[in-house]
Amino acid sequence: MKNLKFTKFALVLSLTKILTSCGGSMPEESATEIAINDKAFSVEEVLEMVASENDVTRTLYTKGIVGAGKKQGLKFDEDWQDDEVEAGPLPALFLRGISSDIRKSSVPLGLYLGSDFPINASNKLEGKQAELFKKIKANQKPQFFYDESQKLHTAMFADMAMAAPCVNCHNDHKNTTKKDWKLGDVMGATTWQYPSDSLSYKEAIGVLNAYRNGTKAIYNAYLAEIANFKNSPKPAIGNTWPSKGFNLPTAEVFIDSVRKLTSYKSLEILVKKGVPVASN
Amino acid sequence: MFNKNPLRKRQYIGSLIGIGIGLLIFIILPQKATEDFLSLGPMNTGHEGLSCDACHTDAKGNLMQQIQANVAFTFGTRKKPVDFGTENVDTKKCLECHDRPNDRHPTHRFFEPKFKDAIAKIDATQCETCHREHNDTRVVLADATFCVNCHYDLKVKNDPIDVPHSQLIANEQWSTCLQCHDFHGNHIYKTAEKIKDTIALTKIQDYLAGGDDPFTKNKKHLPLSEEEWKKIKSKYKK
Repeated sequence: MKNLKFTKFALVLSLTKILTSCGGSMPEESATEIAINDKAFSVEEVLEMVASENDVTRTLYTKGIVGAGKKQGLKFDEDWQDDEVEAGPLPALFLRGISSDIRKSSVPLGLYLGSDFPINASNKLEGKQAELFKKIKANQKPQFFYDESQKLHTAMFADMAMAAPCVNCHNDHKNTTKKDWKLGDVMGATTWQYPSDSLSYKEAIGVLNAYRNGTKAIYNAYLAEIANFKNSPKPAIGNTWPSKGFNLPTAEVFIDSVRKLTSYKSLEILVKKGVPVASN
Repeated sequence: MFNKNPLRKRQYIGSLIGIGIGLLIFIILPQKATEDFLSLGPMNTGHEGLSCDACHTDAKGNLMQQIQANVAFTFGTRKKPVDFGTENVDTKKCLECHDRPNDRHPTHRFFEPKFKDAIAKIDATQCETCHREHNDTRVVLADATFCVNCHYDLKVKNDPIDVPHSQLIANEQWSTCLQCHDFHGNHIYKTAEKIKDTIALTKIQDYLAGGDDPFTKNKKHLPLSEEEWKKIKSKYKK
């Protein structure tokens, strides 16, 4: 009887041991759970950093590619991916392309663009976003809230009319809902979402990389469209920008320019808040 | 051994039969020939002929690791459970083959807070809301009037169609949307400018039920075939 009890006990013990220790352990997979004790940044800081990169990227694309490109005869259209349309993405579609590519990555970052007077009705801000946008219009300061239904930390940043092409295109567009935009106006807002309230150094870098990779992906998609042009002249793709003729920079040249303009500010934030380097 | 208790013999034979049946199941069920038997139902349009493991890919880790991780989750020492046996077939999996840069209604678009009310009615963030697999159809929704959830207050400037959108909306003719507009925007075709030239509703209904494509056979992007997907998958595994 004693032996039977001991056997039973040994069996349970062995089974528990097998269930909990054999075969190696499986790491937790969520990006938000990596280095959980090493949360150097608040989600607000990281979203402000990536939104700042977004401002630079969008201004560069709008001024350097769309504005200068139009003067050279390049076309840009909201239906740029339609088969019969031979054009590039308008800045709003460029952002949507970045957003789509981020979603393909493992980084749980959401990015949207909206306005109170959008050209496309689907981009009209509604509900909580519309409410906060009123404040953004008044003071141009970012707004943060926690979206309880989705359990996502959400930030909204002003999307300013930074370049003449923003104003001109929106005022002249056949479907525009407002014709008196001027430089410096808050034309809309970007909305960013992330699931955790704080990020590790690695996660913060992941957010920046996801955004930069998205920029590269949508720019490459534009170049791929150009390669398939049948009836329109194709600009020379290389190191030169449209301001110098019928050219477009390669994706590497474009991204390199974005990096030059954004890296100093981003690096400052990362170094100040990042993981301290051990001294010898 | 059987002298102690005659019941032991019955237990012994029973155990052997059980182990035998278990082994047979273990050997026979993973065979390709049994896929139809295991399937929950006929595949949806376009997916006929796909192998089970094209979607039901092996979950990460070995069997013991999966058990161990889920036991840990049950006892609260792990935050999330892991897939057991095969991976969950979710939107991410669908997009491995069906992701298109020109998707007019990409699932991720609907994560934006403004769509909260709409997705409460129809969860457009998930492919399976409309395309639930193993139903021998294309779209599982009872009717195709879902556009109303987002476009209920649509106003079209420079309306090109003879019966204006405002009138169609006022009359709540939401079934007419798909007669001109292909939801995912991948077909290469010209939309009609007269209601009489639009695609008949019966043809749209037939299409959603898995019938012929009434828009056009021309599509801008084609999904990956199983072979193409496997090739890409193996490339990234290396």
